[in-house]
Amino acid sequence: MNNVLVSNSPAETRRIAQNLASTLRGGETIAFYGDLGQGKTCFVTGLAEGLGFTGEVSSPTFAIINEYIGGRLNLYHFDMYRINGWDDLYSTGYFDYMESGGVLAIEWSENIESALPENTIRITIKRLNDTSRQISIDRGDNN
Amino acid sequence: MKILSVECSAGPASCAIIDDGKILASSFINAHLTHSQTLVPMIINMLSNSATKLSDIDNIAVAVGPGSFTGLRIGISAVKGLCAATKIKCIPVSTLEGMAEHFINKNCIVCAVMDARCNQFYNALFEIKNGNTTRLCEDRALLGNELRAEIEKLSTTTEIIICGDGADLFYKTVSDLPNITLADEHLKFQSAVGIGMFAYKNINFISTISPEELLPTYLRLPQAERELKAKTEAQK
Repeated sequence: MNNVLVSNSPAETRRIAQNLASTLRGGETIAFYGDLGQGKTCFVTGLAEGLGFTGEVSSPTFAIINEYIGGRLNLYHFDMYRINGWDDLYSTGYFDYMESGGVLAIEWSENIESALPENTIRITIKRLNDTSRQISIDRGDNN
Repeated sequence: MKILSVECSAGPASCAIIDDGKILASSFINAHLTHSQTLVPMIINMLSNSATKLSDIDNIAVAVGPGSFTGLRIGISAVKGLCAATKIKCIPVSTLEGMAEHFINKNCIVCAVMDARCNQFYNALFEIKNGNTTRLCEDRALLGNELRAEIEKLSTTTEIIICGDGADLFYKTVSDLPNITLADEHLKFQSAVGIGMFAYKNINFISTISPEELLPTYLRLPQAERELKAKTEAQK
Protein backbone atom coordinates (compact mmCIF):
# COMPACT_ATOMS: atom_id res chain seq x y z
CA MET A 1 0.00 0.00 0.00
CA ASN A 2 1.44 3.35 -1.01
CA ASN A 3 -0.02 6.45 0.57
CA VAL A 4 0.88 9.90 -0.81
CA LEU A 5 0.06 12.89 1.39
CA VAL A 6 0.78 16.60 1.30
CA SER A 7 1.89 18.50 4.39
CA ASN A 8 1.76 22.29 4.53
CA SER A 9 3.62 22.79 7.81
CA PRO A 10 5.92 21.05 10.29
CA ALA A 11 2.91 20.66 12.61
CA GLU A 12 1.04 18.84 9.85
CA THR A 13 4.04 16.58 9.17
CA ARG A 14 4.08 15.69 12.85
CA ARG A 15 0.35 14.86 12.76
CA ILE A 16 0.86 12.56 9.77
CA ALA A 17 3.64 10.85 11.70
CA GLN A 18 1.47 10.55 14.82
CA ASN A 19 -1.20 8.80 12.74
CA LEU A 20 1.39 6.37 11.42
CA ALA A 21 2.66 5.81 14.99
CA SER A 22 -0.82 4.76 16.12
CA THR A 23 -0.73 1.86 13.63
CA LEU A 24 2.65 0.49 14.78
CA ARG A 25 2.78 -2.78 16.70
CA GLY A 26 6.51 -3.01 17.44
CA GLY A 27 9.31 -4.53 15.39
CA GLU A 28 8.77 -2.23 12.39
CA THR A 29 11.63 -0.61 10.50
CA ILE A 30 10.88 2.79 9.00
CA ALA A 31 13.36 4.01 6.37
CA PHE A 32 13.51 7.65 5.30
CA TYR A 33 14.49 8.94 1.87
CA GLY A 34 14.89 12.58 0.92
CA ASP A 35 17.38 15.41 1.01
CA LEU A 36 18.58 17.41 3.98
CA GLY A 37 16.13 19.80 5.56
CA GLN A 38 12.95 18.21 4.22
CA GLY A 39 11.56 17.31 7.62
CA LYS A 40 12.76 13.79 8.36
CA THR A 41 13.63 14.64 11.95
CA CYS A 42 10.32 16.50 12.23
CA PHE A 43 8.56 13.32 11.11
CA VAL A 44 10.45 11.23 13.68
CA THR A 45 9.46 13.79 16.35
CA GLY A 46 5.83 13.11 15.41
CA LEU A 47 6.42 9.34 15.59
CA ALA A 48 7.89 9.69 19.08
CA GLU A 49 4.98 11.90 20.18
CA GLY A 50 2.50 9.45 18.69
CA LEU A 51 4.08 6.63 20.67
CA GLY A 52 3.77 8.68 23.84
CA PHE A 53 7.42 9.63 24.31
CA THR A 54 7.67 12.96 26.15
CA GLY A 55 11.40 13.80 25.94
CA GLU A 56 13.43 15.64 23.35
CA VAL A 57 13.91 14.31 19.82
CA SER A 58 16.94 15.40 17.82
CA SER A 59 18.90 14.26 14.82
CA PRO A 60 21.45 11.61 15.86
CA THR A 61 24.07 13.04 13.50
CA PHE A 62 26.92 12.51 15.94
CA ALA A 63 25.54 9.81 18.22
CA ILE A 64 24.33 7.71 15.22
CA ILE A 65 21.53 6.36 17.46
CA ASN A 66 19.12 8.12 19.80
CA GLU A 67 16.88 5.98 21.98
CA TYR A 68 13.43 7.29 22.87
CA ILE A 69 12.33 5.07 25.73
CA GLY A 70 9.18 5.21 27.82
CA GLY A 71 6.35 5.48 25.29
CA ARG A 72 3.96 2.72 24.18
CA LEU A 73 6.85 1.28 22.12
CA ASN A 74 10.53 2.17 22.29
CA LEU A 75 11.72 4.15 19.28
CA TYR A 76 15.31 3.92 18.01
CA HIS A 77 16.37 6.79 15.76
CA PHE A 78 19.37 6.13 13.48
CA ASP A 79 21.38 8.42 11.24
CA MET A 80 23.31 6.20 8.80
CA TYR A 81 25.13 9.07 7.07
CA ARG A 82 28.54 7.95 8.34
CA ILE A 83 27.95 4.20 7.96
CA ASN A 84 30.34 2.95 5.30
CA GLY A 85 30.04 -0.81 5.28
CA TRP A 86 28.81 -3.87 7.12
CA ASP A 87 31.37 -3.64 9.90
CA ASP A 88 30.31 -0.06 10.65
CA LEU A 89 26.67 -1.12 10.66
CA TYR A 90 27.35 -4.13 12.88
CA SER A 91 29.16 -1.89 15.35
CA THR A 92 26.09 0.31 15.81
CA GLY A 93 24.19 -2.65 17.25
CA TYR A 94 21.62 -2.22 14.44
CA PHE A 95 20.90 -5.96 14.24
CA ASP A 96 20.44 -6.17 17.99
CA TYR A 97 17.98 -3.27 17.93
CA MET A 98 16.03 -5.06 15.18
CA GLU A 99 15.27 -7.85 17.64
CA SER A 100 14.35 -5.56 20.51
CA GLY A 101 10.65 -5.36 19.67
CA GLY A 102 10.87 -1.58 19.34
CA VAL A 103 10.47 0.59 16.25
CA LEU A 104 13.51 1.63 14.17
CA ALA A 105 13.43 4.99 12.36
CA ILE A 106 16.34 5.30 9.94
CA GLU A 107 17.62 8.45 8.28
CA TRP A 108 20.07 8.06 5.36
CA SER A 109 18.76 4.53 4.88
CA GLU A 110 20.24 4.56 1.34
CA ASN A 111 23.54 3.71 3.04
CA ILE A 112 22.23 0.43 4.44
CA GLU A 113 19.77 -0.51 1.70
CA SER A 114 20.66 -4.24 1.63
CA ALA A 115 20.35 -4.53 5.40
CA LEU A 116 16.76 -3.28 5.52
CA PRO A 117 14.23 -6.02 6.29
CA GLU A 118 11.72 -7.09 3.62
CA ASN A 119 8.71 -5.41 5.15
CA THR A 120 10.38 -2.03 5.75
CA ILE A 121 8.04 0.97 5.73
CA ARG A 122 9.62 3.45 3.30
CA ILE A 123 8.93 7.15 3.64
CA THR A 124 10.01 9.61 0.97
CA ILE A 125 9.71 13.32 1.70
CA LYS A 126 9.86 15.69 -1.30
CA ARG A 127 9.95 19.47 -1.23
CA LEU A 128 7.02 21.08 -3.09
CA ASN A 129 7.78 24.67 -1.98
CA ASP A 130 9.18 26.49 1.07
CA THR A 131 6.50 25.19 3.42
CA SER A 132 4.89 22.23 1.62
CA ARG A 133 6.13 18.66 1.39
CA GLN A 134 4.91 15.57 -0.40
CA ILE A 135 5.12 12.57 1.93
CA SER A 136 4.92 9.09 0.39
CA ILE A 137 4.42 6.23 2.81
CA ASP A 138 5.07 2.83 1.24
CA ARG A 139 4.10 0.08 3.65
CA GLY A 140 5.09 -2.68 1.25
CA ASP A 141 2.91 -5.74 0.78
CA ASN A 142 2.91 -6.97 4.34
CA ASN A 143 1.35 -4.05 6.14
CA MET B 1 40.18 -24.32 41.89
CA LYS B 2 37.23 -22.02 41.28
CA ILE B 3 36.36 -20.60 37.88
CA LEU B 4 33.73 -17.89 37.49
CA SER B 5 32.23 -18.06 34.00
CA VAL B 6 30.14 -15.56 32.07
CA GLU B 7 28.15 -16.03 28.85
CA CYS B 8 25.96 -13.42 27.16
CA SER B 9 26.86 -13.71 23.47
CA ALA B 10 23.28 -13.46 22.26
CA GLY B 11 19.77 -13.57 23.80
CA PRO B 12 20.37 -15.60 26.96
CA ALA B 13 22.71 -14.45 29.74
CA SER B 14 24.26 -16.72 32.34
CA CYS B 15 26.99 -17.00 34.92
CA ALA B 16 28.35 -19.94 36.89
CA ILE B 17 31.00 -20.96 39.37
CA ILE B 18 32.81 -24.20 38.55
CA ASP B 19 34.67 -25.62 41.55
CA ASP B 20 37.16 -28.35 40.56
CA GLY B 21 34.89 -29.52 37.77
CA LYS B 22 31.66 -29.36 39.82
CA ILE B 23 28.93 -26.77 39.43
CA LEU B 24 28.98 -24.72 42.64
CA ALA B 25 26.44 -22.18 41.40
CA SER B 26 24.77 -21.18 38.18
CA SER B 27 22.27 -18.59 37.04
CA PHE B 28 20.55 -18.33 33.65
CA ILE B 29 18.16 -15.74 32.21
CA ASN B 30 16.51 -15.90 28.78
CA ALA B 31 13.84 -13.25 29.22
CA HIS B 32 14.82 -10.71 26.53
CA LEU B 33 16.16 -8.31 29.13
CA THR B 34 19.11 -6.00 28.58
CA HIS B 35 22.36 -7.73 29.52
CA SER B 36 23.89 -4.40 30.54
CA GLN B 37 21.27 -4.19 33.30
CA THR B 38 20.97 -7.84 34.34
CA LEU B 39 24.44 -9.40 34.03
CA VAL B 40 26.37 -7.74 36.86
CA PRO B 41 23.54 -7.98 39.45
CA MET B 42 23.17 -11.65 38.45
CA ILE B 43 26.90 -12.29 39.09
CA ILE B 44 26.81 -10.41 42.40
CA ASN B 45 23.72 -12.32 43.58
CA MET B 46 25.19 -15.66 42.56
CA LEU B 47 28.43 -14.96 44.43
CA SER B 48 26.57 -13.80 47.53
CA ASN B 49 24.00 -16.67 47.45
CA SER B 50 26.80 -19.22 47.22
CA ALA B 51 28.88 -17.47 49.91
CA THR B 52 31.72 -17.04 47.43
CA LYS B 53 33.98 -14.03 47.53
CA LEU B 54 35.54 -12.69 44.36
CA SER B 55 38.90 -13.26 46.07
CA ASP B 56 38.08 -17.02 46.13
CA ILE B 57 37.96 -17.06 42.31
CA ASP B 58 41.10 -18.24 40.48
CA ASN B 59 40.10 -17.46 36.88
CA ILE B 60 37.23 -15.85 35.03
CA ALA B 61 36.17 -17.56 31.80
CA VAL B 62 34.05 -15.68 29.30
CA ALA B 63 32.38 -16.45 25.98
CA VAL B 64 34.18 -14.26 23.45
CA GLY B 65 32.11 -15.08 20.39
CA PRO B 66 30.79 -15.56 17.92
CA GLY B 67 27.67 -13.66 18.88
CA SER B 68 25.87 -10.35 18.85
CA PHE B 69 28.03 -7.23 18.85
CA THR B 70 26.30 -5.75 21.88
CA GLY B 71 26.05 -8.98 23.85
CA LEU B 72 29.71 -9.88 23.45
CA ARG B 73 30.83 -6.40 24.41
CA ILE B 74 28.72 -6.39 27.57
CA GLY B 75 30.05 -9.77 28.77
CA ILE B 76 33.64 -8.99 27.90
CA SER B 77 33.52 -5.49 29.40
CA ALA B 78 32.11 -6.84 32.66
CA VAL B 79 34.85 -9.49 32.85
CA LYS B 80 37.55 -6.98 31.92
CA GLY B 81 36.37 -4.78 34.80
CA LEU B 82 36.27 -7.63 37.32
CA CYS B 83 39.73 -8.86 36.27
CA ALA B 84 41.31 -5.41 36.15
CA ALA B 85 40.13 -4.68 39.69
CA THR B 86 41.13 -8.04 41.19
CA LYS B 87 44.15 -9.10 39.09
CA ILE B 88 42.32 -12.36 38.28
CA LYS B 89 43.35 -13.78 34.89
CA CYS B 90 40.82 -14.30 32.07
CA ILE B 91 40.12 -17.36 29.95
CA PRO B 92 38.50 -16.62 26.56
CA VAL B 93 36.26 -19.46 25.33
CA SER B 94 34.40 -19.87 22.04
CA THR B 95 30.65 -19.61 22.64
CA LEU B 96 30.14 -22.62 20.35
CA GLU B 97 32.82 -24.77 21.97
CA GLY B 98 31.25 -24.16 25.38
CA MET B 99 27.97 -25.63 24.13
CA ALA B 100 29.57 -28.92 23.11
CA GLU B 101 30.30 -29.56 26.82
CA HIS B 102 26.56 -30.05 27.42
CA PHE B 103 26.64 -33.32 25.48
CA ILE B 104 29.92 -34.74 26.76
CA ASN B 105 28.31 -38.04 27.88
CA LYS B 106 26.89 -38.79 24.40
CA ASN B 107 28.50 -40.29 21.34
CA CYS B 108 27.40 -37.91 18.64
CA ILE B 109 28.21 -34.87 16.54
CA VAL B 110 27.20 -31.60 18.15
CA CYS B 111 26.04 -28.98 15.67
CA ALA B 112 26.12 -25.69 17.62
CA VAL B 113 24.16 -23.00 15.80
CA MET B 114 23.56 -19.39 16.71
CA ASP B 115 21.10 -17.25 14.79
CA ALA B 116 23.00 -14.56 12.87
CA ARG B 117 19.77 -13.38 11.15
CA CYS B 118 18.78 -13.32 7.46
CA ASN B 119 19.14 -17.14 7.23
CA GLN B 120 22.76 -16.96 8.42
CA PHE B 121 24.18 -18.96 11.30
CA TYR B 122 27.30 -18.99 13.44
CA ASN B 123 28.30 -22.61 13.64
CA ALA B 124 30.90 -25.16 14.59
CA LEU B 125 30.75 -28.97 14.61
CA PHE B 126 32.21 -31.16 17.34
CA GLU B 127 32.47 -34.92 17.47
CA ILE B 128 32.09 -36.42 20.92
CA LYS B 129 33.27 -39.96 21.51
CA ASN B 130 33.71 -41.61 24.91
CA GLY B 131 33.93 -38.26 26.68
CA ASN B 132 36.45 -36.75 24.27
CA THR B 133 35.63 -33.81 22.05
CA THR B 134 37.13 -33.30 18.60
CA ARG B 135 36.52 -30.06 16.79
CA LEU B 136 35.52 -30.79 13.17
CA CYS B 137 35.74 -27.20 11.86
CA GLU B 138 36.64 -23.67 12.94
CA ASP B 139 33.93 -21.31 14.22
CA ARG B 140 32.35 -19.84 11.11
CA ALA B 141 29.41 -17.88 9.73
CA LEU B 142 27.47 -19.47 6.89
CA LEU B 143 24.10 -19.64 5.19
CA GLY B 144 21.44 -22.05 6.40
CA ASN B 145 21.40 -24.06 3.16
CA GLU B 146 25.20 -24.45 3.19
CA LEU B 147 25.06 -25.87 6.71
CA ARG B 148 22.15 -28.13 5.77
CA ALA B 149 24.20 -29.62 2.92
CA GLU B 150 26.99 -30.56 5.37
CA ILE B 151 24.59 -31.94 7.94
CA GLU B 152 22.88 -34.00 5.25
CA LYS B 153 26.17 -35.79 4.50
CA LEU B 154 27.09 -36.37 8.15
CA SER B 155 23.62 -37.54 9.16
CA THR B 156 23.82 -40.69 7.05
CA THR B 157 26.30 -42.21 9.49
CA THR B 158 26.20 -40.36 12.82
CA GLU B 159 23.68 -39.04 15.32
CA ILE B 160 23.67 -35.23 15.25
CA ILE B 161 22.41 -33.00 18.06
CA ILE B 162 21.41 -29.44 17.18
CA CYS B 163 21.90 -26.87 19.96
CA GLY B 164 22.31 -23.13 20.45
CA ASP B 165 20.02 -20.10 20.28
CA GLY B 166 19.55 -20.83 16.56
CA ALA B 167 18.70 -24.51 17.15
CA ASP B 168 14.89 -24.25 16.82
CA LEU B 169 15.25 -22.21 13.65
CA PHE B 170 17.85 -24.45 12.02
CA TYR B 171 16.25 -27.72 13.16
CA LYS B 172 13.14 -26.90 11.09
CA THR B 173 15.29 -27.00 7.95
CA VAL B 174 16.87 -30.41 8.70
CA SER B 175 14.11 -32.25 10.60
CA ASP B 176 13.38 -34.40 7.51
CA LEU B 177 16.88 -35.94 7.69
CA PRO B 178 17.69 -39.12 9.64
CA ASN B 179 19.66 -39.13 12.94
CA ILE B 180 18.93 -35.49 13.76
CA THR B 181 17.89 -34.53 17.30
CA LEU B 182 16.99 -31.14 18.68
CA ALA B 183 18.72 -30.65 22.05
CA ASP B 184 16.51 -30.88 25.14
CA GLU B 185 15.43 -27.50 26.46
CA HIS B 186 17.73 -27.61 29.52
CA LEU B 187 20.78 -28.28 27.34
CA LYS B 188 19.83 -26.30 24.26
CA PHE B 189 21.28 -22.85 24.85
CA GLN B 190 24.82 -21.57 25.17
CA SER B 191 25.58 -21.34 28.88
CA ALA B 192 28.16 -20.21 31.39
CA VAL B 193 28.21 -23.77 32.76
CA GLY B 194 29.49 -25.02 29.40
CA ILE B 195 32.01 -22.17 29.19
CA GLY B 196 33.23 -22.83 32.74
CA MET B 197 33.47 -26.61 32.24
CA PHE B 198 35.44 -26.15 29.03
CA ALA B 199 37.82 -23.74 30.77
CA TYR B 200 38.27 -26.13 33.71
CA LYS B 201 39.05 -29.15 31.53
CA ASN B 202 41.44 -27.28 29.30
CA ILE B 203 43.14 -25.13 31.90
CA ASN B 204 46.44 -26.89 31.30
CA PHE B 205 46.27 -26.45 27.53
CA ILE B 206 45.07 -22.87 27.21
CA SER B 207 46.87 -19.79 28.39
CA THR B 208 45.17 -17.33 30.71
CA ILE B 209 45.34 -13.72 29.57
CA SER B 210 45.21 -10.25 31.10
CA PRO B 211 42.03 -8.15 30.79
CA GLU B 212 43.84 -5.88 28.29
CA GLU B 213 44.29 -8.84 25.97
CA LEU B 214 40.66 -9.97 26.22
CA LEU B 215 38.87 -9.21 22.93
CA PRO B 216 35.64 -10.33 21.26
CA THR B 217 35.80 -12.63 18.22
CA TYR B 218 33.49 -11.44 15.51
CA LEU B 219 32.92 -13.51 12.40
CA ARG B 220 32.28 -11.96 9.04
CA LEU B 221 28.78 -12.78 7.82
CA PRO B 222 28.11 -14.03 4.26
CA GLN B 223 25.80 -11.04 3.69
CA ALA B 224 28.78 -8.75 4.23
CA GLU B 225 29.98 -9.76 0.75
CA ARG B 226 27.01 -7.92 -0.72
CA GLU B 227 27.00 -4.21 -1.46
CA LEU B 228 25.45 -2.43 1.53
CA LYS B 229 24.54 0.88 -0.05
CA ALA B 230 21.75 1.44 -2.55
CA LYS B 231 23.20 1.82 -6.03
CA THR B 232 22.85 5.30 -7.41
CA GLU B 233 21.34 5.77 -10.87
CA ALA B 234 24.82 6.18 -12.37
CA GLN B 235 26.02 2.84 -10.98
CA LYS B 236 23.05 0.80 -12.18
